[in-house]
Amino acid sequence: MGVVIILTPVVIGSWPLIAAAVTAAAAGLGLNVSEKVREGLHEEERATEQQVEVELEESQVLAESVASGKELVLTKDGITLKVTRDARGHCKICASGKGYSQTELKQMAEQFSQKVSQCFIYNRTVTELKKHNFQTVNEDVTEDGTIRVHVRRWVD
Amino acid sequence: MAQHDIEITISKTGEVRVHVKGAKGKNCMEYAKWLAQIIGTVKDQKLTSEYYEPEEKNRIDLKQELHSDD
Repeated sequence: MGVVIILTPVVIGSWPLIAAAVTAAAAGLGLNVSEKVREGLHEEERATEQQVEVELEESQVLAESVASGKELVLTKDGITLKVTRDARGHCKICASGKGYSQTELKQMAEQFSQKVSQCFIYNRTVTELKKHNFQTVNEDVTEDGTIRVHVRRWVD
Repeated sequence: MAQHDIEITISKTGEVRVHVKGAKGKNCMEYAKWLAQIIGTVKDQKLTSEYYEPEEKNRIDLKQELHSDD
């Protein structure tokens, strides 16, 4: 009853908001997180490591909110994911790791990208709903990783 | 008092489904437009029978409420 809408999320926010979603996504996938100033790879690392870049779809990191050269670094099982803001303001994820194929790294980067998007939309939506006096009735995560939130408010 | 419910489903791939219940007529669309602004681009939209029911006398003015909070 009512209206049903299907939406494609747009991830636009300040670096702290994006970083919060990245941290939540990392926790969900069991990755360790640290924030660093960007450095180039050493020559020997370039020679031995596969590297894949993916862009967080429909993303925009507000320029004034991110210090130059900052990146979030996530690690797990020899794979390193680096999250940065590219020159066009989009959020970029770079996956690298010794002993992994390009396909495996791309799969990991894309899985992480989707999780960041999911966490960002969850944080943004729930924050806005609470601002407008909606209360959570039920919230769960299904086996396939889908987040379901049911909120309610009473109107005079 | 009227009870307004919203069910939000965020899939693993990032697609979002929003179901507004309880709000009738234009009130329903006010919620849908507001959530679309927050979340992203509308891919599909379906009106259900509740949309065509008479609105509550105490119609919400979500737009005014949203703007006053900004």
